[in-house]
Amino acid sequence: MSWAAHQFEVYAVQAHLPKKMKAKISWFAIFFGDFTPDFLAKFWVYGITINGVHYGATKPYQWHRGWPGMGISHTMFFGILVCLGIWAWKHNRAWTIGYLFGFAAHVLTDVNDSIGTVLLFPFTTLNWSLHTWAYAATVKGGKYLDAAAYYSSLGLMMDVFWLLVVLFSWRVLTREFWRTNVVPADPHVWSWLGQWLDERGLLALYRGVFFYGVCRLISWTAWAHLVARPVINGVKHNGYPFDLSWTGPWWVTHVTLPQVSPWIVLPLALAILGLVYWVAGILWERMERPQRSAIASPNVRR
Amino acid sequence: MSDRPEATPASAPGDTPKPIPKWVDFLLYATAAISYISLSIYNKWLLDWIVGPLWLVAWVWGLPALWRLVRGRPVFPRRGPRFDP
Repeated sequence: MSWAAHQFEVYAVQAHLPKKMKAKISWFAIFFGDFTPDFLAKFWVYGITINGVHYGATKPYQWHRGWPGMGISHTMFFGILVCLGIWAWKHNRAWTIGYLFGFAAHVLTDVNDSIGTVLLFPFTTLNWSLHTWAYAATVKGGKYLDAAAYYSSLGLMMDVFWLLVVLFSWRVLTREFWRTNVVPADPHVWSWLGQWLDERGLLALYRGVFFYGVCRLISWTAWAHLVARPVINGVKHNGYPFDLSWTGPWWVTHVTLPQVSPWIVLPLALAILGLVYWVAGILWERMERPQRSAIASPNVRR
Repeated sequence: MSDRPEATPASAPGDTPKPIPKWVDFLLYATAAISYISLSIYNKWLLDWIVGPLWLVAWVWGLPALWRLVRGRPVFPRRGPRFDP
């Protein structure tokens, strides 16, 4: 799984929208799209322990990304279904397309770990994985081992990559960008929030997800390498060892699910990304008239 | 939730009555990050997608609001006509 990368993606998508969609795609929709897969699947991955009894998935990787399991939450099929629901409910292309972009970013980024995603569900239930780093959520290790493994492997590089993408598009974080590109796409939501927060507060809310991503990256990395004292194969370490090799780190058990050859995953993931933008571009034009009709006759709106 | 190209606002919603200097703004963001990271290294429950963004809002908006409250000035934006782009 990816960690802070999912927070940075929201701003990366916002900064690199197709020209005709600039200042017209809801930032909240991108956020919720990117957020939905893990919101639905992750709570049971780590589970909870009450009075010494652990409640959660017995095979976290199967639950999180497999089929049967909640792996469906990490498929484009599911994302498209939600988009259809949003469109049927609100007839709002800013939210429908924004959600699609955010959702696609999450699903495609998650093909990097050793479990990957059921990318072409329902056509095939095989997982698509690049094996860039090891999926490390286990019942025993919980969130801590998962974080330590991620921030000791190429997962850390993935977070840094997305952070750099956002930093190279730093204008997306400015007050000016927020005023001219983010608020106009969602004036009613920002206006509603403006009842309680002044502009500084609203801007902080907009930047908050990026802030959380940066702090999360630093905090978990610092904990894993400066604070933790793990015992690995009977040897006590000062911090978890880094392993930036493919499918690292070496010190976690490598779990997999039935999957396709890794060699076809990257071309397919890039093709899906291109397809999403191409289809969104076509739909964007076609959605304009139904949206205007829905705004003109709100009583008919479902 | 709308999509109108002409919706660029002349002023953003929730305008601040009196802007604070940029260096104070920077200081607020920096201290928010330092405090959050320092505490969350040892208190992992703080590393949550709700707590994180709200920490920033509480720090960057809440502290100046608290200062205004202490000085007897209004904390929340004035209730005027709603922002209409």
